[in-house]
Amino acid sequence: MQNGSPGFFAGKLDELVSWGRLHSLWPFPYGTACCAIEFMSTESARYDLSRIGSEFVRFTPRQADVLVVSGTITFKQAPILKRIYEQMMEPKWVISMGACACSGGFYDCYCTVPGIDRIIPVDIYIGGCPSRPEAFFDAMLELQEKIKNQSYIEERKKKLKEQWESIKEWGLSIRNWKK
Amino acid sequence: MNDLILELAEKFGAATDERSIDKCAIIAAEKLIETVSFLKETHAFDVLIDIVGVDYLGMENHKGKRFAAIYCLKSTKNTARLRLKIQVDENEKIPTLSRIYPIADWQEREVWDQFGIVFEGHHNLKRLLNHVEFEGHPLRKDYPAQKRQWLSENDQMLDQLENRLEHLGYKVI
Repeated sequence: MQNGSPGFFAGKLDELVSWGRLHSLWPFPYGTACCAIEFMSTESARYDLSRIGSEFVRFTPRQADVLVVSGTITFKQAPILKRIYEQMMEPKWVISMGACACSGGFYDCYCTVPGIDRIIPVDIYIGGCPSRPEAFFDAMLELQEKIKNQSYIEERKKKLKEQWESIKEWGLSIRNWKK
Repeated sequence: MNDLILELAEKFGAATDERSIDKCAIIAAEKLIETVSFLKETHAFDVLIDIVGVDYLGMENHKGKRFAAIYCLKSTKNTARLRLKIQVDENEKIPTLSRIYPIADWQEREVWDQFGIVFEGHHNLKRLLNHVEFEGHPLRKDYPAQKRQWLSENDQMLDQLENRLEHLGYKVI
């Protein structure tokens, strides 16, 4: 456990957890435009996303790991997207599919959000209008590569530190209140 | 069809719109309800297809008022179409048609939302396409096309749903 690196068992646990995560990514389809049709094609028999373990498309954010935003997001839609992102359980990832979700596309106007990264953090961007199923596969494989390098232990450490800080803050506030 | 515009000119003081390709009559805002109910009753114009707003700001060779609302009418019995154009300025109002054609309710809301043309007597003139916190009217020529406005919380549409359910005979608790 020297210089912060996990030991043998903890390191193996780390690998096991990310292996489990990356082979069962359950997507939540947030389809608002034609990219959603390409997503359906990716899911169904011809391309078959279940080959990489993502066959379960969950229609509730509480059971999903990957938020697939496929389509144009308007300002009226933005709070809904944000709420759905917040309802998802950790760990969660976001794929921004197509030109509209990435940058607003050719809707350079008063009503379209210029890229969903103004609202929620995005892990993978896919170009295209709409993007092809092959491009979606590429993005999923890239996401798997990204998850492989994420450390569960480091995540927990960071979370515990945050929690400890908030507890300390709370304690301090109580002490000040008593004075 | 020209006879119809002539008849309208005789009865309600309508003028032919020379700029338009098809049949279009310009009428005054005060005569709108009379004209439309006359057209509906005697000439069987039973469908109001759309209400279109126009902003003439900055248009070359345009004289007269800034805005116009165009009513597209259709008769399914005579297979005839007619457009009525009403020219208004910023502070002027147009009487609502929602008592003659129920569909005009939402169409007038859309025109108000996008152009800011006020329809007098409308029971629920609020935004239809843009969100509640939007300021200004985006299809006006002086609205910057790329000016974006954030909506900070979800739009509430329950009041309308409740009205609709009550209209259908359900009891809203």
